[in-house]
Amino acid sequence: MRRRVAIMLVALLGVLLAGCGGPQPPGRDGRQLTLAAPRDLVAGPEDPYYTHQTLRVWEPLVTVDDKLRPVPALATGWDSADQGRRWTFTLRDGVRFSDGTPLTAESVVANIERFLRIAPRQSAFFSLDAGMEAAYGKLGDVRAEGGKVTFDLDQPVADLPSRLAGFYSMVQSPKAFTSSGEFAGKPVGTGPYTLVSWVKGQQAELAANPHYYGTAPAYRKIVVRVIPDANARIAALRAGEVDGLIDKGAVLPGQVAAVAGDRGFRVVRSPSVLTHYLTFNASREPFSDPRLREAADLAIDRQAIAGKLLAGTAGPGAGFLSPVFGDLADPSSTARYDPGRARELVTAAGAPATPVSILISSAETGQFPYTDIAEVLRAALEQAGLPAKVTVAEATKSVMEAGDYDIFLSAYSVPNGDPDYLFRRFLRSDASWNVERRLGYRSTEFDGLVDQAAAETDPGRRRDLYHRIQRLLAGDRPMIPLAYQDNPIVTTSKVGGVAQNVAYVVDLGKLAPLR
Amino acid sequence: MTVTVLRRAAELLLVLVALSVLVFLLTSLAPGDPAEEILRRGGIQPTARSVAALRAELGLDRPLFTRYLRWLLDVLQGDLGRSYTDRSPVAAEIFSRVPATLRLAGAAALIAVVLAVLASVRAAFRPRALDSRAIAFVTVAIAGVPPYIVGILLISVVSVGLRMLPTGGADSPGAVVLPALTLGLAGAATLLRLLRADLVQALRMPFVKLATAKGMGSRRAIMVHALRVAAPNAITAAGTVLAELLAGAVVVETLFSWPGVGQLAVSAIRQRDLPVVQAYVLVIAVAAVLLLALTELCLAAADPRMRRR
Repeated sequence: MRRRVAIMLVALLGVLLAGCGGPQPPGRDGRQLTLAAPRDLVAGPEDPYYTHQTLRVWEPLVTVDDKLRPVPALATGWDSADQGRRWTFTLRDGVRFSDGTPLTAESVVANIERFLRIAPRQSAFFSLDAGMEAAYGKLGDVRAEGGKVTFDLDQPVADLPSRLAGFYSMVQSPKAFTSSGEFAGKPVGTGPYTLVSWVKGQQAELAANPHYYGTAPAYRKIVVRVIPDANARIAALRAGEVDGLIDKGAVLPGQVAAVAGDRGFRVVRSPSVLTHYLTFNASREPFSDPRLREAADLAIDRQAIAGKLLAGTAGPGAGFLSPVFGDLADPSSTARYDPGRARELVTAAGAPATPVSILISSAETGQFPYTDIAEVLRAALEQAGLPAKVTVAEATKSVMEAGDYDIFLSAYSVPNGDPDYLFRRFLRSDASWNVERRLGYRSTEFDGLVDQAAAETDPGRRRDLYHRIQRLLAGDRPMIPLAYQDNPIVTTSKVGGVAQNVAYVVDLGKLAPLR
Repeated sequence: MTVTVLRRAAELLLVLVALSVLVFLLTSLAPGDPAEEILRRGGIQPTARSVAALRAELGLDRPLFTRYLRWLLDVLQGDLGRSYTDRSPVAAEIFSRVPATLRLAGAAALIAVVLAVLASVRAAFRPRALDSRAIAFVTVAIAGVPPYIVGILLISVVSVGLRMLPTGGADSPGAVVLPALTLGLAGAATLLRLLRADLVQALRMPFVKLATAKGMGSRRAIMVHALRVAAPNAITAAGTVLAELLAGAVVVETLFSWPGVGQLAVSAIRQRDLPVVQAYVLVIAVAAVLLLALTELCLAAADPRMRRR
């Protein structure tokens, strides 16, 4: 009997293992690359863009550099006239779509008209909504003129290229769309790759675009797999199944040290548009008292949170705009940590009888160690004399709208380098965030400065206005930056040319095998 | 028997109606505004106007009862709605993923049943042998460890360490092994504990003892008589375990990037894609109810005492 059981067990194992000769090592000939991402970078024909910008199937008119400055993509340059009421974009010569038809000013106009026709429309990447309104909200007319694209605006806009950068200036062949603006088939763009096949939620296969105007990409074929689980992604990398992990949240803060210590892998850490903020509920006690908001601000050791809890994948927050905003970020802002002064302020203002509630969203605890951060915040506040508790909620919106919180910890990103979006959407006296979430921030000085900055076309004066706004916020503290988040990605040391911009876009066209 | 089947069918109908109400209410009354969540993709705060427009488009501004009736009518016609996120038909999406989940659950059930039967028979033969005790220990251990941890351990050892099987996906034929093993071990632990206890009890029954006393070998006593006595409980347990496998696939499918309905459900929950979540809960609940009904019919067929109720 014992032998029979043993034989049956072996037979069962044999059946299970039959037909599996182990995973195929990717890129055996050096011309194929397999990557993995936490989400599907292809969203399909119902999405306004079909694919993410990272896949380089389509290209925008304008993209951003590592300081969120607009830089040329399909447009080689731009001019503004009439104090920012007219913008003219010059197109790159000799560009063809992957179906062989040439890129023209008319095709760019067709894409913009399509966006306006189908908006508002949800997307897996950037909804045709708030950011879209920032980009095209003041558009009077757009037309093709002598091979150039001309925008006539109803009101002056100082930074139209910034607002258009990325998704909102995607250009695809007009033949890719039906008359109602839906995708007729696969996406048809001008990038180094074309989308060959797509299995929803599993993988996308890209092939080099034969009509690409630039240098042909080094990899003929790229497979991008979807691996939603963070531990499974690292395992796939270690098992040699994938050559790299890309996209937002590819490697969690807690995983970076383990991968970075391995010689076989290279971690690329670049700043991102994501910033962790603390939002105060100043519409009720205790944080309606500015002294207590200041006390909370001073009690927090941002260096420790960024360095330890976020494992060095973030920098301590100082100014409201993170360093990715370049010279728009206020250089005079510094993160102060002064627990002694915090205690004095609490003593002067009087400690609240009931504990303040630190609210976090359960949706965000999977990606960032928010539970740990909230606990550290709680301890810091209690040391300063402010009793505190941590609340984890599934739907933070309803909790906040009921005003039942004191501090909310959450991360936000910006759609482009336009700071007006943040100030107008979050903190202006009529901003939906401010009003609906009970921030209780009312400042006519702030409102006036925001409007003034948005209309200012002189870059120097505009920059100074944004610095003034940030200094004002540093004193008023309706929301305070906690940490500026990097987005670490990783590849094996055989892959070169890995670079990521602040909006998580990795240029797949620049990847190349290393000797 | 016909009466039994008819009565069960009527009961089943009631259960299903109650189920539909429950599924709809649970998912619709969950806090949070799907319209805003959808538009907040990419971390960008949407405009109030867009949120209102989307709410209207999705019918979220109508009264709850109207929404339920519309939803139920559509479901009865096989229309499970459209995904909030990519606007694709939910029914097609779910049913295209059902085969993968069934394949995984089937493989896991096979592993669970084979392991449980082998191990429990072994334990019944030699309750004090070292390997029987080891099996009992391992069973308790596995039952106490969440499948996610078991899965991670399997991946680390088999895929990363030995490089024998892929870490996930469904491309190669071997890909099913690790997720099935992860799920199957948990199922085996549950089944094994029940089956072993029943077998030991059955062996103490007078007729088995009599048969042994009359000279029947212990092998035949266990395999023929005791196992049959223990069968009804095992069938009930197997039904429950299979239902658990279908539901438990949620965690395991996500870990192994297995393209089944469980993984779909997880990403839908994260994105507040209500129609997909509703459809998933409905399909799984209906499957579980039908499975349990089927189990009862099997029992009735196997054991005449069950029919007189």
